Amino acid sequence: MKTAALILSAVLAVAACVFLLAPLVVVVLASFSPTPVFDLPTTGASLRWYGRIANLEGFWPALGLSIEVAAVSTALALVVGTLAAIAAVRGALPYADAFAALLVSPLMMPGLVLGIALLQYFRAVGFDAPLAGLLVAHLIVTLPYVARTMIAGLSRFDFTLIDAALTLGCTWRQAIFKVMVPALAPSFLIAGLFAFLASFDNYPVSIFLTDVRTKTLPIKMLQYIEEAPDPTIAAVSSLILLGTIVLLIIADRAVGLSRMAGTSD
Amino acid sequence: MADAAHLGVKGVSKRYGAATVLESIDLDMARGELVTLLGPSGCGKTTLLRVIAGLVRADTGTLSLAGRDVTRMPPYRRNVGVVFQSYALFPHLDVAGNVAFGLNLKRLPKAEIEAKVRRVLALVHLEALAERPIRALSGGQQQRVALARALAVEPSVVLFDEALSALDRKLREAMQVELRQLLTSIGATAVFVTHDQEEALTMSDRIAVMHRGRIDQLADPRTLYDRPATSFALSFVGQSFRLSGRVVASEPGLSVIDTAAGQLRAPKQFLTGSDVIVATRPEHAHLGHATLGPGDNSLAGTVSNVTFQGPRSLVEVRIGDAFLTVQMPGRSAAPPIGSEVTVGWPIAETLIFPAEGEP
Ligand SMILES: Nc1ncnc2c1ncn2[C@@H]1O[C@H](COP(=O)(O)OP(=O)(O)OP(=O)(O)O)[C@@H](O)[C@H]1O
Ligand SMILES: [Mg+2]
Repeated sequence: MKTAALILSAVLAVAACVFLLAPLVVVVLASFSPTPVFDLPTTGASLRWYGRIANLEGFWPALGLSIEVAAVSTALALVVGTLAAIAAVRGALPYADAFAALLVSPLMMPGLVLGIALLQYFRAVGFDAPLAGLLVAHLIVTLPYVARTMIAGLSRFDFTLIDAALTLGCTWRQAIFKVMVPALAPSFLIAGLFAFLASFDNYPVSIFLTDVRTKTLPIKMLQYIEEAPDPTIAAVSSLILLGTIVLLIIADRAVGLSRMAGTSD
Repeated sequence: MADAAHLGVKGVSKRYGAATVLESIDLDMARGELVTLLGPSGCGKTTLLRVIAGLVRADTGTLSLAGRDVTRMPPYRRNVGVVFQSYALFPHLDVAGNVAFGLNLKRLPKAEIEAKVRRVLALVHLEALAERPIRALSGGQQQRVALARALAVEPSVVLFDEALSALDRKLREAMQVELRQLLTSIGATAVFVTHDQEEALTMSDRIAVMHRGRIDQLADPRTLYDRPATSFALSFVGQSFRLSGRVVASEPGLSVIDTAAGQLRAPKQFLTGSDVIVATRPEHAHLGHATLGPGDNSLAGTVSNVTFQGPRSLVEVRIGDAFLTVQMPGRSAAPPIGSEVTVGWPIAETLIFPAEGEP
């Protein structure tokens, strides 16, 4: 009875993984398809769609914009989110729990709602700078990831370490940079990674805030699919997948995957 | 700086809001002395330690250390070593990295730092673990790393905040002896904080008994045990038998006290009519009329329990509503439970204090 239950849960786990991974596998296979329409079984492999990526109209600016927005909003979110997390954990604020919940709340809000709200708000206050508006929106998107991870990291952080550093000869500033920052480095890395990915593939918020000239990669990709549904987009997706895997491997080397998934300390 | 004390604490007070946590604390320590702050939870031990370290600024009072006035000096210029209860080891550095931390800040030559780290690690028997990450150490090893890190910078004074309390009992007792030998051998001046009286007795040249933000008594362990200055010091260190009563007659060097259990004499003059606590240490007490001399106090009681322990028997006697445990040699016959006995002890070993609540 017990073994039967174990086998069943193992089968279900494998099934869930297959279900989650299957679309990715299809996308990767499709990107190597020799024909414009992807068929199974395939009749060979080709890199022609990868070759066409560079020629996609507006691809490089969109990629550049996405990376730029993700990098800048992640950097801002790391600074602001960490300071806010310190206030939530250490500030002896009244309603500190409510404050922490508020910081993380955009995670729970549908991106569509956030996008529309920001669009109308920017219009109402007469804020007409697409790039800056996009950055503000992505700061809101990325901030909760940083705040959540840093609140968790800081509540495990022993602030006596700072006292120890002070008595060993560190000034306050040195204590922060020589002890607190390195001790929290794994949290910073995880927070930064999640924030970057959340910004990089954000569609529902961005769609409301982009104009013809400022289009991020996800928006551009949807446009390509509508215009010409050939495997070029599958090739782009596969490259993004590859980039993400590389990032994850680096992060795993640095801090361990289980810690990122939150399944262990 | 006019005084010769290595560490001088004068009139230090600290309040948090309405609560007075430290109340005009005075503490002078000689170079190489080991002093323990002993007291119950919340009496201000950690706060005093943090004031000495510079992590908390006192409201009033002055501090001097190694001939410098450090009252307003930030912690990073005081040259104190602190071993924290949680050890507070840096998780991103290995053992050697932790020990070298303070030396690196002093920008010493690399070779000199390495030599010092090796020497200090040898002192705490951790040479073999220099490259270990902190998370791969046992509690006892972490304690040693914390000690090595604090000693590496050759501090003017080393402060220990319940540094041994996280260790299990056996390891703790071994560490007490070893730590004392080590500190004595390098001539360190140290302040320990503990609420464990045995640790205080083992580790210190002098013990400061703290009570509600004050130092009740600062004395060597023997004086503290034999001549406690307050009834709090009496009850906090060692076993004692205590009765409350009222002084009915007094003359220089003697008071006569009426207690619920009978009349007692104590070798100290108190104002007639004052409420007092009379006490003695159980080891001064003996059983039976035959043993009483003219210089003894005596009280009648009932045997409530007898425990045979081989070399000795413990006879618990109920006197009024207090209990006194008297030791007898194991060979001699203990009185049966329920029997009426007389307990005596020398008047010279009788302690007397003003009743609690008075200065
Ligand atoms: N930062 C602070 N703010 C307010 N009150 C404080 C603060 N630090 C300490 N106290 C109070 O001061 C009193 C003494 O604290 P302290 O930590 O010095 O006690 P302690 O003797 O070390 O006790 P323990 O044996 O439990 O460690 C306590 O009542 C504590 O609540
Ligand atoms: Mg304490």
